[in-house]
Amino acid sequence: MDLSGKSYKAFLERQEALKKQYSPKQAEKQHSKGKLTAHERINLLFDSGTFEEIDTFVTPADQPVEFGKVERTYGDGVIVGHGKINGRLVFAYAQDFTIMGGSLGVVHSKKIAKIQEMALKMGSPIIGMMDSGGARIQDGVASLSGYASIFHNIIHSSGIIPQISVIMGPAAGGAVYSPALMDFVFMVNHTSYMFVTGPNVVKEVLNEDVTFDQLGGAEIHARKSGVAHMIYEDEENTILALKKFLSYLPSNNVENPPVVPDDGSVPDICEKLRDIVPDDPNKAYDVKDVIHLVVDRNSFFETAELYAPSLVTGFARLKGKTIGVVANQPKVLAGVLDIDSSVKGARFIRFCDAFNIPILTFEDVPGFLPGVDQEHAGIIKHGAKLLFAYSEATVPKITIILRKAYGGAFIVMNSKNLGGDFSFAWPSAEIAVMGPDGAVAILYRKELAESKNPAALKKELVKKYRDKIANPFIADESGYIDEVIDPAVTRKKVISALSALSNKWVRVPSRKHGNMPL
Amino acid sequence: MKIKKILIANRGEIAVRIMKTARLMKVETVAIKTSFEPGAMYLSYADHIYDNTEEGTDIPVFLDIEKLILIAGRTGADAVHPGYGFLAENAYFAQKCIDNNIIFIGPSPDALYKMGNKTIARRIALRGCIPMALGSEGNISDEEEAIAVAEKIGYPVIIKAASGGGGRGMRIIRKAEEMERLFSIASKEAEKAFNDPSVFIEKYIENPKHIEFQILGDTHGNIIHLGERECSIQRKHQKLLEEAPSCALDDKLRHEMGRMAVKIAKAVNYYSAGTVEFLLDSDKKFYFMEMNTRIQVEHPVTELITGIDLIEQQIRIANGEKLKFRQEDIRLEGWAIECRINAEDVQSGFAPDPGKIESLSMPADPFVRIDTGIQPGSAIVASFDSMIAKLIVKGKDRKEAIKNCKKALDKVWIKGTKTTLPFFRMLVRNLKFQDGTFTTAFIEKDLEKYYYNSEYEEMLAAWLATKLFIEENLKEDSINVDFENGKEMSPWLLNKRMNQF
Amino acid sequence: MGNDKIGINKLYALSSEKRKFSFSLPLKHKIRIGKRNYEVKLKADEKYGTYILWKNRKYPVEIIRSRQNKYEILFNDISYSFTVETPFSLQRMKVLSSVKGKIEKELVTAPMPGKIIDVLVREGSSVLRGEPVVILEAMKMQNEIQSPVNGIVTKVPAKANNNVMKGDVLAEIKVE
Repeated sequence: MDLSGKSYKAFLERQEALKKQYSPKQAEKQHSKGKLTAHERINLLFDSGTFEEIDTFVTPADQPVEFGKVERTYGDGVIVGHGKINGRLVFAYAQDFTIMGGSLGVVHSKKIAKIQEMALKMGSPIIGMMDSGGARIQDGVASLSGYASIFHNIIHSSGIIPQISVIMGPAAGGAVYSPALMDFVFMVNHTSYMFVTGPNVVKEVLNEDVTFDQLGGAEIHARKSGVAHMIYEDEENTILALKKFLSYLPSNNVENPPVVPDDGSVPDICEKLRDIVPDDPNKAYDVKDVIHLVVDRNSFFETAELYAPSLVTGFARLKGKTIGVVANQPKVLAGVLDIDSSVKGARFIRFCDAFNIPILTFEDVPGFLPGVDQEHAGIIKHGAKLLFAYSEATVPKITIILRKAYGGAFIVMNSKNLGGDFSFAWPSAEIAVMGPDGAVAILYRKELAESKNPAALKKELVKKYRDKIANPFIADESGYIDEVIDPAVTRKKVISALSALSNKWVRVPSRKHGNMPL
Repeated sequence: MKIKKILIANRGEIAVRIMKTARLMKVETVAIKTSFEPGAMYLSYADHIYDNTEEGTDIPVFLDIEKLILIAGRTGADAVHPGYGFLAENAYFAQKCIDNNIIFIGPSPDALYKMGNKTIARRIALRGCIPMALGSEGNISDEEEAIAVAEKIGYPVIIKAASGGGGRGMRIIRKAEEMERLFSIASKEAEKAFNDPSVFIEKYIENPKHIEFQILGDTHGNIIHLGERECSIQRKHQKLLEEAPSCALDDKLRHEMGRMAVKIAKAVNYYSAGTVEFLLDSDKKFYFMEMNTRIQVEHPVTELITGIDLIEQQIRIANGEKLKFRQEDIRLEGWAIECRINAEDVQSGFAPDPGKIESLSMPADPFVRIDTGIQPGSAIVASFDSMIAKLIVKGKDRKEAIKNCKKALDKVWIKGTKTTLPFFRMLVRNLKFQDGTFTTAFIEKDLEKYYYNSEYEEMLAAWLATKLFIEENLKEDSINVDFENGKEMSPWLLNKRMNQF
Repeated sequence: MGNDKIGINKLYALSSEKRKFSFSLPLKHKIRIGKRNYEVKLKADEKYGTYILWKNRKYPVEIIRSRQNKYEILFNDISYSFTVETPFSLQRMKVLSSVKGKIEKELVTAPMPGKIIDVLVREGSSVLRGEPVVILEAMKMQNEIQSPVNGIVTKVPAKANNNVMKGDVLAEIKVE
C-alpha cells in the first residue's frame, strides 16, 4: 500500500513522534526505580493483543495563566482503554510517571472520567493503576475539579461494577481518595506510597522525621491502616495476582460471579476436618486449615490478610462457584472481634452482598475484645457495622460454628435470627451466653466463696456447664441452629445448602439507603 | 513359669517390644489404653486391654503408682514391666508391687534407691575402688563449699543434681567467679525437676566418649556383662545414635571396664538388666558416671551383637531363674548401630515437631531391625516423647554397619512431621563419625550443619517451587473461568434482580 | 502459550540462603546434570502421598506454605524456602536493595495485656514473617505473637512469666 499521500504523511509523523515519546530511555529510567512503565503494566494485565487504547493523542490543555512549563505530550500522562482479561471485557487506566510525573491535569482527568463512564455503561469492571505525583499545579483549580469528577464517578459506580485500584508509585494528597473509594486496593511493596500529607509536611508541621515507607508504604497500609488489601513484593506478582483476583468477581451487580469448571478432585467428605479443632477449648488452631479443606483446592484468595488478622476474609470457590469466606481466626488473639476486625468484616460482607457472592462464615469467637481502649474508641458503633452488614446482606448466608459462639459475638456472626439462611455446628461447638468460667463465676459466686476447695468446685461446675449448656445440642433441639454435623461432611453440607439457595431472593423495603452506623 | 500375665506400665515402642517377647514366651500381657492415644499401635499387641480413657487427668496413668497397682489387681496381672522412663527407676513403685504380691520386672527396690541417688552411688563406687572423677564426698550445701571443693579438684568442674538425670540441674563451671550464680541455678533447676535441690560436684572431663556396659544379674548372685555400647552421639545429654561395640575399646580395656561394671553391680546385689555408664577420656582413662537400673532405649544394639533377648532375660530373672550363660560364653559378633528417629526439626535446633504421621514405610532388608510403636495415622503427642522409631542395622564390621545404615536411611519414608532422618543421613557421611574419633562434644562443637542434602535435592525443591508458581500464576488454564456461565440465571432470579434496580 | 504472552521467558527460584536456580520456560520436566538430562516426575498416590520421582528414587515432598511467590517446601525431610522471581523482579530486587541499604527495625508489641508463657526466640535468631516469637496468654488462650517481617532478632525484652501491657515491646527485629 502506498502511504506516501499527504494525509498519511501527517499520520505517520504523529506515529513516529509517539514512539519517540515512549522511548527506551524513558523506560530505562522507570526500570531503574524498580518500576515498570504504564505500557508494560497494561501488557502484563491484558490478554495479548486485546487492549485498545483510546485518546492516545490528546494533548494537555493550554494554560490560562503562564506559570511553569507544561510539556506538549500525547496522552497527557495516562493510558486509558479496554481489553480482555482472561477473555472478559475490562476497562482500565494507567498513569504514566514518565510523562510529567503522571501528574493529573485537566485532560488527564477527563480521559479517566471518560473510561469510568464507559465501564459503567457497559457493566464491566474497571482497574486504575496509579503512579502519579498528584494534581498538576499548573492546571490549578481545573485539576482539582478533575479529581472531583473522578471521585464522583467512582461513587456513582460503587456497588454496580467492581472497581479496583493498584498503587504502583506515589499517590499523594487528594489522589489517595480514588483508591480509598474503590472496592479493593493493591499495593507494591517499597515502590508505592499513599498519604494525604507527605513526610516533608509532617516534618514542617509536627517536626517528626518519617520516611515514605514508614508513613505510607504498602506494609503500613496493609497492616496498620487497612487501606491496602493486597500487597506484593513486585509489580509482576501484583498484576498476576490481580488477574487471579478478578476471576472471582462478576462483571456487575446483575450478573452472577463467573464459574470455574469443577474437576471434582476434592472429595465431599474429608475426615481430616475432624482433627483440626483441638480437644482443649483453650488451644488455638489455624482456621485457614479448615477453609482450605472445605473449599475447592487452592481456591482460597485471602483479602486484607495482614490487617486485623483475628478475622479472616477472602474469596474461594465451591464446586467452581465463587463464595466469600468470613472466619474468626483462633490463632490470632483467640479470634476475638475488635474494632478493626469488625470494620474489615463489614466492608467485605457488603462487597459480597453488592455483587451476588454468597457468604460462608466459620465461627469460633470468644466475644468482643474487652478494654478501655476499645470501648473508648467506639467498639459499640464499629461492632454494629458488622452486625448491620450481616443483617442487611441478602445473598445466601451460611454459618458453620466450629467452636466458641458466645454472647453478642454469636448474634453478630450471622446468627439465624439475623437472617442467616443455614447454621450448622460441629460437635465441638459451644453456644451460650458466655464462656464457662464467666458463667460459673456469676451463677455460683456464693457457693464458690464458701467452698473449702473453690478450684475443684469450679472445675466441676465448668465441666457441668459444658455438658449441660455450652454445647451445640440445646441450640439444635430448639431450632436456633439447623443441624449439628460431622466435620467431615462440612463441604457436602455447604454445597447442598448453596444449591438450595441459588435462587434466593429477598425483597428489600424500598428506601433511599439505610443509615449504616459509620 | 511363675509369671503368667504381665501388666505393661508403658506405651509406645517399648511396650510393643516387651509384648513381642512375652508372646514368644507364651506369657499374657495387659496394655493400658489412655485418652492421649486411644488408637495407639501398642494396644494391638496386647492380649488384654485395660481401658483407662475415661480418666481425664493431665498426668499419664504410667506415672500413677496407686492406679497401676489397682489395674494389676483388676486384670489379674502377676507381674509389671515398667519399660523405660515413667516409673522404671522408682524404688517406691517397685516396693509397692512387692507389697501387693506383684512381681516387679527389674532390680530390687534397694538397688533402685541406691543407684538412683547419685551421691550414694558415688559413695558405693568409691568404696569399691571404681575409677571415678574427683569430686565432693556427698552433697554440697552452698557456694562456698562448692568453691572449696572445686579449688581442691581443679577447674573445670560440673555440678550435678543428686537425684537427677537427662542434663537437668547440670552446670559446667570453668572459674570460681561463675560458681555463685550457676550453683543456685543448678540447685533451683534440680528442685524444680526432681523435687530435690541437693547437688554435688565432680571434676569435669573434657570431650569424653560415653561408654556404657550392659549388665545382667540373676537373683542367685550371678552377674555378667554383655559388652559395651558407645553413645557419644548426643545433644544436650539426649542420645541420638548408639552403637555396639565401641571402636575406642580394645579387648584389654573392655575386660577391665567390664570387670568394674560387674563389680559395682555386685556392690548393690544387682539383678535384672542394668547399665553402668562410664566416661572415657582421650588418654583412655575411664570414670564411673552412673548406673541405669532399667532396660534402656538402646538395648537392641547389644541384642544384635550378642544374640541375647534382654527382655526375655529380664522376665526369666524376675521369674527366679538362673542365668543360662557365664561371662566366658558371651561373644560379641559384628557391629550394630541404632538411629533414634524422632519427630524433631533438625533445622530449628532439634525442636519437637508433634503431629500426625500420615505415611510411614520402613526398609525390610535382612540387616535392618525396626522397633516402633507408630503406624500411619498415629499422632506424636506433646505429652509423651517424640520417638517415631528406632532404626537398628547390623554389619559384619563397623564399616559395613555404616554402609548398611546409609542404605537403610534412604529407604525410610515418613510424612507428617519433620524427623531426625536428615541428621543421620549427614552423620553416616561424616568423616569424623566414620573414623570413630568423635566425642560427646561432636554435635555441639564439630558440626557446622546438622543435616544432609545432596546438591540435587535443593535443585529439585527449587524446580517444584517454580512449577507451583507457574501453575498458580502463569499457566493459561490456571484461571479457566467461564464468564458466560455467570450470565445464565434462572428467569425468576433475573427478573427480580432487574426489577430491584 | 500463556508464558510468552506475558513476556516472561525465564524464572528464578531464590533460596533463603540466596542461592539462585534458573529455569527457562516452558518448564521442562528434566534437570540437567553434567551432560545428561534426568527426568523429574511429580506424582501422588494413596500409599506415599505426594512425591518426586527422580533417578529411580522417590522423594517425599510437601508444600508447607505458599504465599504469593514464596514457597516453603519440605523435600526429603528438609525444608527449603524459595521466592520465585521473574527476570524483571530479580533486577528490581537488586535495584531496591541498593537504594534501601538502610537498616530497618520492626517492633513486635503485645497486642493485648496478658502474661508471657514462653519466649521462642533469642537475640540473633533469624525469624520469618509469621513465625511465632512469643506465646502470650490472654483471654484465657495462648496466643502466638508472630513476627511481622523476615529478619534477625536484635532484642528480646519479653521474659517468660512476666505480665505485659498492651503495646509493650516483646522483641525487636532487624528487617532483612
